[in-house]
Amino acid sequence: MGTQTGSDEASADTFYPSDAEIEKWMSNAFDTAKDALENGEVPVGCLMVYDDHVIARGRNEVNESKNATRHAEMVALDQLLDWCRHSNVDARGVGLYVTVSQIPVVVFGCSNDRFGGCGSVLDVSSVNLPETGTPFKCVSGHRADEAVEMLKTFYKQENPNAPKPKTRKE
Amino acid sequence: MEPQVKRWKGSLCDTDSWVAYPVLSDEQSQDIDLIEAFAAPIVNKKETSRLIRELNSLYPLNSLQHVKRVRACKAQGSPHPLEVLVCLVSDVPKTKVVSIDSLLSSDGVKHDGLGEPFIVKVPSRPPLTRPQFELVNKHWPTSFHEDKQVTVALRGELFSPSQKANMHKYMMSALTAAKAGKEMGMEAVGAVVVNPATQGVIAVGHDCRGDHPLQHAVMVCIDLVAHSQGAGCYSFDKYPACRFTPPDFDTHENAPDAEASSQPYICTGYDLYVTREPCVMCAMALVHSRIGRVFYGTASTDGALGTKFKIHSLKDLNHHFEVYKGVLSTQCEDLNRLD
Ligand SMILES: [Zn+2]
Ligand SMILES: [Zn+2]
Repeated sequence: MGTQTGSDEASADTFYPSDAEIEKWMSNAFDTAKDALENGEVPVGCLMVYDDHVIARGRNEVNESKNATRHAEMVALDQLLDWCRHSNVDARGVGLYVTVSQIPVVVFGCSNDRFGGCGSVLDVSSVNLPETGTPFKCVSGHRADEAVEMLKTFYKQENPNAPKPKTRKE
Repeated sequence: MEPQVKRWKGSLCDTDSWVAYPVLSDEQSQDIDLIEAFAAPIVNKKETSRLIRELNSLYPLNSLQHVKRVRACKAQGSPHPLEVLVCLVSDVPKTKVVSIDSLLSSDGVKHDGLGEPFIVKVPSRPPLTRPQFELVNKHWPTSFHEDKQVTVALRGELFSPSQKANMHKYMMSALTAAKAGKEMGMEAVGAVVVNPATQGVIAVGHDCRGDHPLQHAVMVCIDLVAHSQGAGCYSFDKYPACRFTPPDFDTHENAPDAEASSQPYICTGYDLYVTREPCVMCAMALVHSRIGRVFYGTASTDGALGTKFKIHSLKDLNHHFEVYKGVLSTQCEDLNRLD
């Protein structure tokens, strides 16, 4: 389930992480998510791994940036781009580990019923979007309970930046 | 009478050249499935209320609350004035010959006053728009709770000439930004974010994906809005056509209510004008940013607000918004042909 292989793309052909690798990197991604939680952000962490090295890491920074698209994956993607520029390697074959998938981007912990891009709300990895990109491989459900627990912890606290529910003035 | 020629003074005020149509959900825009049902003529009108009562308890048709049980007979000069829905074809076992006796085989309904059954088609769900209503109502009378705004929007008449003049102006800014971006080697896409409560332009941006693959015009504008609120994460200094206005400058024009002058929160309540239909990433970014409404010029092959997906109307998402397409469609289409 969830392991389609693109026919001609390097990303799909070479990205076969072992269970132990998934375990190691997801645990690392969770540490990043915890950092978000400690900073009042939605606890989502994301890691990009190439050749057994972390080359990019991101956590949610929506409240800090007042930009609702600054999810963990997007923050990590910015680092990935810098890394690609400096090292002259293209991004195919990079594994992306994210604790919760929000904006459609590859291995993630739990599908997000409200925002998910892989299989939960939209299945972008398998729809053919010729002008947008090539299909990618998606493995989900890893440590799903833990990812959901962290989100619950966050939503029990108040989001300091969201508008307060309206109260009538005296 | 004014000579027509005067209207050709530039394209600035030529708001008759385009129409904004709503991009509705699949439920609103697709044809409603029709299902087969048995109807029968009421040959003795005096039996009508008893027949309806007894049929309602034998075949309640619970899933078809929107369908009228009885209709006036269509054919002029018909020997019987009324026809009644008996049951769905799927309610009874398949037999070669269907008679009124076989449909009412159990006791409970005396079929006095009913003629022999015939097959009609009824809509499987309530119509949501006037075109859907008009189509299904031809088959069998159906109730319709009309959303007047949707009806007017589908006719392309939702926006007044003065509203259209404003929309025209905003999309012109988006077009200008798109061309500026194109000159810097970017894809020719431009976008503008407006606060409709004050008519203030909050952000103008163009595609920057030549330098950064995620910086589509919409993503650029979302970050420019964050800049207008004192934050943001990218610098757009090297793109003179990408700019923002802090909302403090925007609210001085006698804000109509307290809502407009209260602290802005991401893109809540703002309108986005973009020259072409956003992709999946941008459409999701607009959901996350709580955008108010989206107006785009032309559809795109992988578009996510109408073409490949209708992300603005997905039930499972916790924010929905209205989408209109066709604003300055010709000029937006022309962008794709820029060299
Ligand atoms: Zn995300
Ligand atoms: Zn886009």
